[in-house]
Amino acid sequence: MSLVAEAFMNQLAAAEPWPENAALYQQLKEDQILLSDNAASLAVQAFLQMCNLPVRVVCRANAEYMSPSGKVPFIHVGNQVVSELGPIVQFVKAKGHSLSDGLDEVQKAEMKAYMELVNNMLLTAELYLQWCDDVTVEEITHPRYGSPYPWPLNRILSYQKQWEIRRKMKAIGWAGKSLEQVLEDVDQCCQALSQRLGTQPYFFNKQPTELDALVFGHLFTILTTQLITDELSEKVKNYGNLTAFCRRIEQQYFEGHDKDGSAAASARSAKRSESDPDLNKIWSQIFTPECFCLAACQMPSSCKCVTHLGVQLVELMR
Amino acid sequence: MAAPMELSCWGGDWGLPSLHPESLTVMAYAKFSGAPLTVNTINNSWSTPKDVPVLISEDTVISQPAKILNFLRKQRYNADYELSAKQGADTLAYIALLEEKLLPALLHTFWVEAENYCSVTKPWFASRIPFPLSLYLPGKMSREALNRILLTRGGPPLYSLTEVEAQIYRDAKECLNLLSKRLGTSQFFFGNTPTTLDAFVFGFLAPVYKVCFPRVQLQEHLKQLTNLCRFCDDILTCYFKLTITDG
Repeated sequence: MSLVAEAFMNQLAAAEPWPENAALYQQLKEDQILLSDNAASLAVQAFLQMCNLPVRVVCRANAEYMSPSGKVPFIHVGNQVVSELGPIVQFVKAKGHSLSDGLDEVQKAEMKAYMELVNNMLLTAELYLQWCDDVTVEEITHPRYGSPYPWPLNRILSYQKQWEIRRKMKAIGWAGKSLEQVLEDVDQCCQALSQRLGTQPYFFNKQPTELDALVFGHLFTILTTQLITDELSEKVKNYGNLTAFCRRIEQQYFEGHDKDGSAAASARSAKRSESDPDLNKIWSQIFTPECFCLAACQMPSSCKCVTHLGVQLVELMR
Repeated sequence: MAAPMELSCWGGDWGLPSLHPESLTVMAYAKFSGAPLTVNTINNSWSTPKDVPVLISEDTVISQPAKILNFLRKQRYNADYELSAKQGADTLAYIALLEEKLLPALLHTFWVEAENYCSVTKPWFASRIPFPLSLYLPGKMSREALNRILLTRGGPPLYSLTEVEAQIYRDAKECLNLLSKRLGTSQFFFGNTPTTLDAFVFGFLAPVYKVCFPRVQLQEHLKQLTNLCRFCDDILTCYFKLTITDG
């Protein structure tokens, strides 16, 4: 986005207060979402909780395609749609809420550096494990990624995504790495985070910042997602202060909220589960005959029929 | 004590011992830690190695900067032994920042920006690679650089190369500002002795600072950050014993 457009967006953002009906979109929690996307979504949820901004989590099978940048999660606030943690932090800052205002310049530089470390090592390792490790790909990723779609679309979409991720891994030099090397990198990253955290409650002592939200999102997801082996979560468990950190943030920001806050789940199975009864209800709603004529629908704003979904999507894009 | 070690890397010009950021990082670290390396610059010989820089010690061949530095540390050439655990963690974080924010713009300045590539980078590298590889290898390096930039930074909502370029230069300038704030007035990043982080920062900054390109927006921004320029010049005069000349 050009500088002018960005300044304009910030002006628009600053104009309105945070609404009550802000929504965060991610993929389907039980069946479809993958490790890396879940980590990103949890990081954003944690950040918004830390800022005391209410948001409801909406699960949609096509969340990735609705997102303006192709990545989940994205938030729909007022009439703006913002995706990924970085831009969401900027957006929230334009609305007057910030977690890192109390930091001095050197600390802000450090915070940005550590966020890049998490993105560079942890996120890339998660993507590698999900898309480049053959066993995980066959048993977990392919079934989950395409689960909302019928055959052959499910296979085509997941192969397409896999090809895209492998190209990226090759470009940054991770394609030649073995799983052991990747796990070693994860270990190094966790060691750095553990040493930086030390015995403090948060990375910048008393108050949580977006770095805490990001680290929580990734580490909690790694600790609570069941994969083929436990090697990844073992690497994190080696560092007691990191597990205590995750537990502390979960207790402080997620317990006592509704169960849509996905942090309440523990050791959630990543394997394919029974079909969700809610999903069946939604499918039957989509083909509700009343809604072929928009005017005949009884509840246009919450109707989930295909015509109204289309209208809502157009509104979102605007 | 240790077996003789040879480093194979790209040579230098414009007052720098090497133009290649990764080669420069390894050379700087070797100077900081006192490792006795014999440096062989690639010069028209047929043995142009694929991944440069490459360290050869007896029978071991090691190729990436991080691995080479690890190897040197194992051989007791450690520039970081005075650092605390937190400073070691900071090193890793700042290196990640450099790779994510500064490296795309660096690659763009050298390999993708058409004027720079055609008038400076390609002739320089081609003159050091034997014919007929010199017709092919620079083009390949350029395509790989563009590929890397587009794959890592080029997704939606940035749809054209100009938008991606604008974004990566903005990120690079922000990264330079952050480094400048972190360095402040001290001589090196962690006190008075240079460490791994100084080697990496020097490796990335010195080519931008010294090489004379026709299109230089990153260099102009860097020249405004006087403490970073002083940092590069100090390392060049103290550790590389070259006079500071402009190409």
